[in-house]
Amino acid sequence: MTSDNKLLSVSPSPHIKHPDNTKSIMLDVLIAMLPALIWSVYVFGWRSLSIVVICVASCIAFEYFYQKLMKKRITAGDLSAAVTGVLLAYNLPVSVPFWVPVIGAFFAIVVVKQLFGGIGKNIMNPALAARVFLFCAWPSILGNDAYFAPFTKMSPLAVSVKGLDTVAGATPLASFKTGGISDYSIFDMFIGRIPGCIGEVSAMLLILGGIYLMVRRVITWHIPLSYIGTVALVSFLFPKVESVHAFEFMAMEVFSGALMLGAIYMATDYATSPVSPKGRIIYGIGCGAITVFIRYFGGYSEGTSFAILIMNLLVWYIDMFTRPKVFGKVKAKKVKEKE
Amino acid sequence: MAYTFRGGAHVPEHKNTASIKIRTMPAPKMLSIPLSQHIGAPCTPTIKVGDTVDKYQVIGDFEKGLGCPVHSSVSGKVVSMEEIRNPMGNVVTHIVIENDGEERVFPGIKPYEKSFDEITADDLIDITKRAGISGMGGATFPTHAKISSALGKVDRLIINCAECEPYITANHRLMLEFPDDIIGGVKILLKVFGLRDGDIAIEDNKPDAIKLFREKTAESDIINVKVMKTKYPQGDERQLIYALTGRQIPSGKLPADVGCVVFNAETCAAIYRAFAQGIPLTSRIVTIDGDCIKEPCSVLCKIGTPISHIVEHLGGFAKEPHTVVNGGPMMGAALWDINAPVTKGTSAILVFSKDVYPEFHEEYSCIRCGRCVNSCQMGLMPNYIAMFAGKRDYSLCEKYDVLSCVECGACTYVCPGNVPITQLNRVAKAKIIEKRRNEAAKEAAKNDK
Repeated sequence: MTSDNKLLSVSPSPHIKHPDNTKSIMLDVLIAMLPALIWSVYVFGWRSLSIVVICVASCIAFEYFYQKLMKKRITAGDLSAAVTGVLLAYNLPVSVPFWVPVIGAFFAIVVVKQLFGGIGKNIMNPALAARVFLFCAWPSILGNDAYFAPFTKMSPLAVSVKGLDTVAGATPLASFKTGGISDYSIFDMFIGRIPGCIGEVSAMLLILGGIYLMVRRVITWHIPLSYIGTVALVSFLFPKVESVHAFEFMAMEVFSGALMLGAIYMATDYATSPVSPKGRIIYGIGCGAITVFIRYFGGYSEGTSFAILIMNLLVWYIDMFTRPKVFGKVKAKKVKEKE
Repeated sequence: MAYTFRGGAHVPEHKNTASIKIRTMPAPKMLSIPLSQHIGAPCTPTIKVGDTVDKYQVIGDFEKGLGCPVHSSVSGKVVSMEEIRNPMGNVVTHIVIENDGEERVFPGIKPYEKSFDEITADDLIDITKRAGISGMGGATFPTHAKISSALGKVDRLIINCAECEPYITANHRLMLEFPDDIIGGVKILLKVFGLRDGDIAIEDNKPDAIKLFREKTAESDIINVKVMKTKYPQGDERQLIYALTGRQIPSGKLPADVGCVVFNAETCAAIYRAFAQGIPLTSRIVTIDGDCIKEPCSVLCKIGTPISHIVEHLGGFAKEPHTVVNGGPMMGAALWDINAPVTKGTSAILVFSKDVYPEFHEEYSCIRCGRCVNSCQMGLMPNYIAMFAGKRDYSLCEKYDVLSCVECGACTYVCPGNVPITQLNRVAKAKIIEKRRNEAAKEAAKNDK
């Protein structure tokens, strides 16, 4: 045996890996959400960009400092905190004072994500939990009065815009709640010329991003389709407003509020959604049903956040209930019985 | 429509050597032949140090139980017997033979005494046992034992030419350059098993092989060429049988239990050579590839040839080698010695540099994307099993059917969180089996009292 013996690295198989990693997936999600951001700057002005920047920066900072403090591996650069930041901003009205997103980021990253063990271990979607926390803590800041008509001028740098001479605009869902019908047309809702949170208004651009995510295989069709499908079906069969055709009402329900944002970007959050296709469909239907239920009968005009959070808590049970059939297992039992 | 199965992963094919002719490696000066190249008991040597051996002479044999004899690939002198740890981690006796270059064939190597028409099942068991044939796809189960256990139980014969692992083209080149050996082997197997026709399963990324075999078998209808979808692990016999017949092998059972018997293409050719020429299994086709190899190709080399010898003949290393894999990149074992010999189960040697070898970190985090669940053709939830195994809760692993895991590596390949799922599963399986063995031993001790 000739030739010198060089030291070789010995590790167990497999010896190749798919190029996708957590960071590349999160980058894809950020890319998919970019059109909605550009649109919000167009509709709500540069202030929406300020809010997004504050959210992202504080999410990454909280993750970094928490991990530093706890002497954990620093994963703040894996972009998952950035995705949480963007989602949090997308769920806030553009008029919020600048300190609100910072508190939201703390709640999302430290309380909901890191205290439960970090990425993949949180039991609720961090951005959504933070939104609901802020919403309950400061109803006057995030309530129905916080929304303004599109193209209202707001200072991009003022810490607070309260008391400014602005025109409040009722969101379409708030109009439904009072039994009325929104002034905005279905087309306005589809392209996003309506009052609402920063990232939720343009159904069209959110769907575009969703298609991108499906093409890139970051998400599957199961959750968005079963979620939106359930909302559409229920609102078509049981329209709440009788002055319009059921079909029109269904379109308004589907294109308004946070449904698109929730169904495509937040219900599909890996950590808080089931892992098997069957489980994902059950989860999506559950989200849809609770959303419509809150919209119809609840105290709030929008139910997406609560619906997703409630279903988040059921993910473990859905996973256990929808375990795939093990190859060759059922037959093994039969064979034993025969023997 | 190509046949396929549920789950699996689309791995990059890297069939770089598919259109390169097989190169025959010259016999090296020194060969190191392990006495255990198969599943079962290791052979005991039938020669002593200092003996002169002939080419094709038996140098290791077994008496009872599951085994498979080992032959010398060259004529020469037995220099030493060394205890060396093989890639699976077991210490195995290697017989080191100095090649005298005379190629002196052992007397008595001749075609089988009976003609094709007279051959019976017992004859084939005898032929394959004497020729030391074991499965050449990687699992290395002794072929004579497979035949005798499957006799009278099977109604489907499948020749596995799927070759779903990346890089490997050994079977592909065999099909293109020695198609008659495979067809000859199929005919013998069909006769012995009393079947009218058999399937040759080829993945659809080998259209030239599919075309050649369709032409070759156009005249008769005893061989059906079945086109399989290119997907990993299509070559796993469980998935192959399921794709072709819809039958699921129950966990812990053999293909024969669902009426099927599967042979690797090269095993099939080896059976034919043992029958027609009397040549025992002493050489095989090995794909040599990876970014460190200057001239990647498939080579025909003698069992016992050191890998370093083959690399030298292919122009040496292009880069500093980091990891040497014995087998495919998905399931192959990493070698710690570049001088390790080619054995009966070596389908490929892949040499990767640090540039292309993936980095695995000690710390990892599952992001619950569910890709592993979708890729698992065994219907497991690898993310949960890995989580339980990481917490050393092996009874939960067992509850989640970790013992059904075939360690194909598809889940680990697709995992974006860098979780060493397959590796964790292996540990869990070993721990569960160890625990069962201990319990059985305790039970036995109790009964003795």
